Amino acid sequence: MPGEVGIWVFILGDMVIFGLFFIVFVYYRGLDLELYLQSQATLNQNYGAINTLFLLASSWFVAMAVDDMRSKTTRLAPRFLVLAMLCGLGFTVVKIIEYREKFMAGITLTTNDFYMYYYIFTGLHFLHVLIGMGVLVFLWLKARAAVQRKGDLPIGDSEKGMMLIESGASYWHMVDLLWIVLFPLLYLMK
Amino acid sequence: MNIKAQLFCAWCGVAFLILFSIGWWFIAGYIPPMSPALSANEVAAFYQQNTGLIRLGMVITMFSAALSAPWVAVIAVQLKRIEGEFPALAYALLVAGAVGVVVLVVPPMVWTTAAFRPERDPELIMLLNDFAWLFFVMTFSPFFIQNLVIGLAVFGDKSETPVFPRWVAYFNIWVAILLIPGGLITFFKTGPFAWDGILAFWLPFAVFFGWFVVMFPLLLKAIKQQDLSSESQ
Repeated sequence: MPGEVGIWVFILGDMVIFGLFFIVFVYYRGLDLELYLQSQATLNQNYGAINTLFLLASSWFVAMAVDDMRSKTTRLAPRFLVLAMLCGLGFTVVKIIEYREKFMAGITLTTNDFYMYYYIFTGLHFLHVLIGMGVLVFLWLKARAAVQRKGDLPIGDSEKGMMLIESGASYWHMVDLLWIVLFPLLYLMK
Repeated sequence: MNIKAQLFCAWCGVAFLILFSIGWWFIAGYIPPMSPALSANEVAAFYQQNTGLIRLGMVITMFSAALSAPWVAVIAVQLKRIEGEFPALAYALLVAGAVGVVVLVVPPMVWTTAAFRPERDPELIMLLNDFAWLFFVMTFSPFFIQNLVIGLAVFGDKSETPVFPRWVAYFNIWVAILLIPGGLITFFKTGPFAWDGILAFWLPFAVFFGWFVVMFPLLLKAIKQQDLSSESQ
């Protein structure tokens, strides 16, 4: 398993919670389907789709970076990580535009139940993205240092260093995975 | 070496959980939480029918709250072992824990104020009831910081024989994040994010309880490890 044990405690714990969120959502949705479908129709699916692409691409860049760092001849990892961060930044910008549009249209957390879930779930996910951007910066610093040392990972012995890098990458993949469930659940499910 | 004092502090955490549950849960009957959507008369009726039990329960709950102070203190002592001479995170934990005691003491005092004159205007009883519940469920910030600094300190443990295993860092940060939904209760009277809701109340409540259960044996182990390493020196 990539990364250290602890990151999997966190990832599985987090996924259990989001899983619980999704069950609650689907349950209450079933009680008032019409309202949920009406509200869902006002969401901008394009924003959701663009953000899905951003996160998928970002995950791919991170995977490439990790692969490059495993090879012991690390060269391209920092560039892949910059691309991954740009995708994360793209996600952030689109999300802010989307929230702004909703606010301007007078739609808030308390408008109805659907929007309550929309804001809270995407908001918590957004918080994960922001933390993840910090993680990517950390990975980028490590990768850059590795390139400067001609492939030697900078933290302790290289096995331990690789462990940290894989942990960070695993977290980022989880952020991606959560969105891949969140997107159809909020924007698409009929 | 003050191992006995540390063990005493750790057991205070267990005493806190037990006494708090007895007072708040089994005697006063605040679990399951009443709905924030109840009318003033319904809220007042709860206080009129359970006056004596609420008063007794709140004495115990109020007392139990301060038992969390030694518990937080002994965790801070163990964090100090990690941090060494300048234990900023351990101090942050102490300050947050002290505020945490206030957050646990004030709501029982407000609940008992409501039960002090249950014949008064139901609107006023509802006001006190609202205040106590909001204060109790929504104030996640000191507990959030508590768990966060524990997580950060454990991450920083570079020793050969770490005080806590590394996964404890991730666990504490996970707990910190899970306490956040409590902050949403100000927006809702019904549903999962109301103060009786599954995501704003039951989940953080269960996690906060679980945190004690997970940390207690780890804490005992850390204290014993400290004892052994000081003997061998």
